[in-house]
Amino acid sequence: MRTDKNDITDDDFQKFREYFYRKTGIDFDLAKRYFVDRRLLERIEATNSGSFRTYFNKLRLEASGLELQQLTNLMTINETYFAREEYQFEALVNSLLPDLIKRKTDTKPIRIWCIPSSSGEEAYTVAMFLLERWPGINKWDVEIISSDIDTGILIKARAGRYSARAVHHLPRAWLQKYFRPIKDEFQISDELREAVEFTRVNLAAPADTRSYRNFDVIFCRNLLIYFDDVSRKAAAETFFDALNPGGFLCLGHSESMSRISSIYTVRKFPSAIVYQKPLESR
Amino acid sequence: MALIRALQNPSEETFGHIGEREKLLLDLDDSDPAKRRWAARDLLGHAEVSVPLLARLNSEQDLSVREVILTSLTRIGDQDAVTGLVDCLRSEDAALRNEAIEAMQSLPEAVGPMMQGLLADTNADLRIFAVNILESLRHPDVEAWLIAVIETDRHVNVCATAVDLLAEVGTPASRAALLGLKARFADEPYIQFAADLSLRRIDAH
Amino acid sequence: MKRILVIDDAATVRMYHRNILEAADYVVEEAVNGIEALEKALIQKMDLYLVDINMPKLDGYGFLRRLRSEDMEQAPAIMVSTEAAPEDQRLAFQSGANLYLIKPIKPAQLLSHVRMLLGEAAQ
Repeated sequence: MRTDKNDITDDDFQKFREYFYRKTGIDFDLAKRYFVDRRLLERIEATNSGSFRTYFNKLRLEASGLELQQLTNLMTINETYFAREEYQFEALVNSLLPDLIKRKTDTKPIRIWCIPSSSGEEAYTVAMFLLERWPGINKWDVEIISSDIDTGILIKARAGRYSARAVHHLPRAWLQKYFRPIKDEFQISDELREAVEFTRVNLAAPADTRSYRNFDVIFCRNLLIYFDDVSRKAAAETFFDALNPGGFLCLGHSESMSRISSIYTVRKFPSAIVYQKPLESR
Repeated sequence: MALIRALQNPSEETFGHIGEREKLLLDLDDSDPAKRRWAARDLLGHAEVSVPLLARLNSEQDLSVREVILTSLTRIGDQDAVTGLVDCLRSEDAALRNEAIEAMQSLPEAVGPMMQGLLADTNADLRIFAVNILESLRHPDVEAWLIAVIETDRHVNVCATAVDLLAEVGTPASRAALLGLKARFADEPYIQFAADLSLRRIDAH
Repeated sequence: MKRILVIDDAATVRMYHRNILEAADYVVEEAVNGIEALEKALIQKMDLYLVDINMPKLDGYGFLRRLRSEDMEQAPAIMVSTEAAPEDQRLAFQSGANLYLIKPIKPAQLLSHVRMLLGEAAQ
């Protein structure tokens, strides 16, 4: 039996795997051993824990949940770029909007909220998908609001200047239509910049979120996974009040309401699982 | 039609009466669930609200309102809140019982003093719920309590829940008790399986 | 091969049931609560559900009620409880369970019920 304290044993891995799956819904199978072990060892060292056992107890029992957030950060991929997790934008134009329109009894604009905005990639991607892939844009008005707690990033988002890496996933035709190259970067068009309202919001502050209402679709991708249990639940409840009945909430690829809240209806569409505020609710 | 710029996210109409405790308490019983949700949220800014929140919780049929009330109670986490949540464990409503356990798992320090009483309750379901709460409890006696459960509790499912947790937190101190449990429930394959798993994990250290 | 969704918040319980079912050549999927179970059931066709009652977020009754209201091909469900109260049994069947068992469940007992619900020959 290996007794090297620098090893993550098979049992350690299983303990961690079960715990992490319970908390986040992310399951690391054995193929991810190396990936997981390296990061665990990194955090064991960073926290001066000395052993997996000590680290694991720290992880489980820390009231603030900060180490779990830190570890989650390390275990998940955090890059932001245009058309990230594209299947959800497909779902938006192919499934969610048609579903909303079918039930719509007024002519008010459709409202979409993207939070966090980060540097704007998601909101601008939504705009492009609406213009390029949703026939309904010719008939219906759409408002896109995108928010972040970080005012610095909002400035970047409003400016709309991006690296080649950020636009890598966009179809060439869209890149040519909506961006112009400036040196080795890409500047998004004024048309799109003017289409998105960027606002500062602290999702955890009811004072900030109180006036965010009547949304039809909310994108909150890869943010809640970094929150502690209570804050995550509170955020889901905040979104519930921000949505119209029948409105949709899209989480990130590896996120699930199963670790958050049961107040939403789970809806399966051809390209995504999406959460819906029940039609009969207020 | 087109993409149009939203005007500063307009909404003159907002919810809640921030700062007015009495109005909020009235809203807590409003027929509109949205008003009740916002009342439950906004009451957080006021003192001594656990009791009215708990009273509403016990009659609230709307799941979304219940959730917000529980989030608020979790955030308050005072003695009144915890006592009220423990009372929820005895509710006929299975969903409410489970929601209360979840809330208490986020309040380990507040629940700690009540743990011994819960673990000795005559109701087996309550003892199971108590063991469930131990999972997130930062307390030096957690393993000792689990050992006591598997040594003395007569109910197989209370023991099963305790063994399950020992797979995650057990140390060599649990070894003898686990072996004793195996002997006590020699004809229960699940207990054999779960105890063996915990023993294996303990011995691996 | 028939696919069974094992739904329980306790990892050890899921593991125990998985071992029994896989040994009998069933494919096993897992979920920790009713919400995750719904998501998995919506994505992939399941032939049988083995569902615990007490789970966080959405319990067994809630899961079955929502499942049975979905416009999709339904599969039999075994509800598993720690208690044997008659009102719990009634509630289980009302929610949409086909069978109600008290845990812990012995391997032979589980397999026999599973086979019966799947319409397979007894062994």
